[in-house]
Amino acid sequence: MEKEEILNVCEVSKSFRRVLALKDLSISVERGGTFSLLGPNGAGKTTLMKILLGLVGHDAGKVRMQGLPVTSPLSRKGVRYLPENITFPSWASPKVLFRQMERVRREVSAEQFRNRCSELECLELMKRPVGKMSRGQRQRVALSLVTCGDPVLVLLDEPSSGLDPGGRILVRNLIRSLSSRGTTILINSHLLGEVERVCDTAAFISRGKLVAQGDLDSLSRHTGLVWVETLHPESMAAAIGEKGYECRTEPRGVTVDLDEGTDFGRLVSVVLDTGIEFTGVSRKRENLEDVFLRIMGDEAMEADIHVP
Amino acid sequence: MFLNGLEQLARRKIVLTAVIATMVFLGLYWWGISAASTADLEGGHGQGYGAAKMLGPADAALAAIVTAAPLAATLVTALMIVIGATMLPEEMDEGRMPFWLSLPQTRLRVYLHTSLAPLALSYALAIILFGGIFLITRSYFAFTPRNIPLVFVSMLSWLTVVWAAVILLSLVVRKVASMLIVFFLTAVASLFGGLYEIMRMFPGEAPAALVTITRTAMYAFPADRGYRGVLYGLIPRNGTITENLAFFGVTASIPPLHLVYAFSWSLVLLALGYWKFRRMDF
Repeated sequence: MEKEEILNVCEVSKSFRRVLALKDLSISVERGGTFSLLGPNGAGKTTLMKILLGLVGHDAGKVRMQGLPVTSPLSRKGVRYLPENITFPSWASPKVLFRQMERVRREVSAEQFRNRCSELECLELMKRPVGKMSRGQRQRVALSLVTCGDPVLVLLDEPSSGLDPGGRILVRNLIRSLSSRGTTILINSHLLGEVERVCDTAAFISRGKLVAQGDLDSLSRHTGLVWVETLHPESMAAAIGEKGYECRTEPRGVTVDLDEGTDFGRLVSVVLDTGIEFTGVSRKRENLEDVFLRIMGDEAMEADIHVP
Repeated sequence: MFLNGLEQLARRKIVLTAVIATMVFLGLYWWGISAASTADLEGGHGQGYGAAKMLGPADAALAAIVTAAPLAATLVTALMIVIGATMLPEEMDEGRMPFWLSLPQTRLRVYLHTSLAPLALSYALAIILFGGIFLITRSYFAFTPRNIPLVFVSMLSWLTVVWAAVILLSLVVRKVASMLIVFFLTAVASLFGGLYEIMRMFPGEAPAALVTITRTAMYAFPADRGYRGVLYGLIPRNGTITENLAFFGVTASIPPLHLVYAFSWSLVLLALGYWKFRRMDF
């Protein structure tokens, strides 16, 4: 059965004066799951996110969210957005901010907000003014405000920005938990390691154009390397090397460079024949960083990407 | 959103300063009026008062109100201009505007609700100030005001013009520039508003160019009409010198159509502001 579409961007173009931000871009996102927008700085990812929310108008094309044109406020019902740079009033506590938000959206109970704060470990900050919080604490509060309740679609622009490793783990868990409850999540992040851990699908955008889109597994290719997991990497590397394979030892195994045309099955029998204990042989796939570098080509080198 | 805006404004130092200034102003006014009320209006404190023998409490009240009102008006206008000019730009600069606009509400709602807060606050402050002036004056000098309901309507019309102009300009030229422009417009409107009243008293004697400029200024920024309506409504109806002051433009009556025009013009300015806001990218 075909999944329902929650976002549909059809041949959208947008220019800011003479700067072309998006050019005939088409993207479709199905309901449920976690989708990521990837691309170098200035590729048009944030612009696209803002077009989806009606914050930026588009010059051409059609954009629909939840089946409605994005010009309709109803298309944003149950939709939440966390901008990359937001400064809450320094005097306001999370409790006040929640009250202010609920005056408008009327979707979430105070109980649900407290639960989310508890999940993101910021419940004790409930009455503290935002001005007296660290950047990471503010980000947790902002995430709690945005994701509390049962949102239909959550758009996060650099959600892990300013968070320590513990905070990033919490955000990852939060995204997984939201996704498991049917919330669609759209992430724009430069932290490829984080994206790889939580996203199912991604769209690569470069110079305002869609370069590739698909699920991360199908986008990632085999690298030509094989990983042999063993507690005796030195002896395994020596044994495989004797058979003419190029390999290098690593702390918990051996990486074997499999030449094009070389049979993977043959390598497995070589490993078996060594008689050395091993726990697994697998073909290495590209990680998201490799995929990003391959798809973006030279432009990726100009990109401001961070891999934790 | 409107309540959020009020909550936001209530925390700003400028608002606290304005509230303190209002209290201090009214306190000083009270002290001054109570001291002045002990003077013998019928008798005389030396020769200079000889000419004032015929004056009564209503005249003293008129003098007090006419003296205090411009100061009160300056305070309210200043507050309105400062908070009005920063309300929308601050939400944009701090990155909160995308946040609010991403919620299921129209841009018109965000625009109106956010920008209405400065108007409401300034109107409340104006009522406290002018109401205070009225009550303090009346408690020492018995008089009957000319038209209290007119005071409320005129006050709203005066503040609405300033508010709509400052909201529009804050979206076009941003913060400080918009404040300065509206301050300038208010001063010009006050000047030409007075000239207009003087010309009404001496029809046909003013140069045609001055008449044209005065009318243009009055129609382009009709805030002065509302302010004069406030004064007219507050002043005593039974004073001896009231009519004699009319040629200053201080105590002249304001045609209701002028107030209607001021409200309508505010709507035009507000609509232009919305037109700009609707086309903005956030």
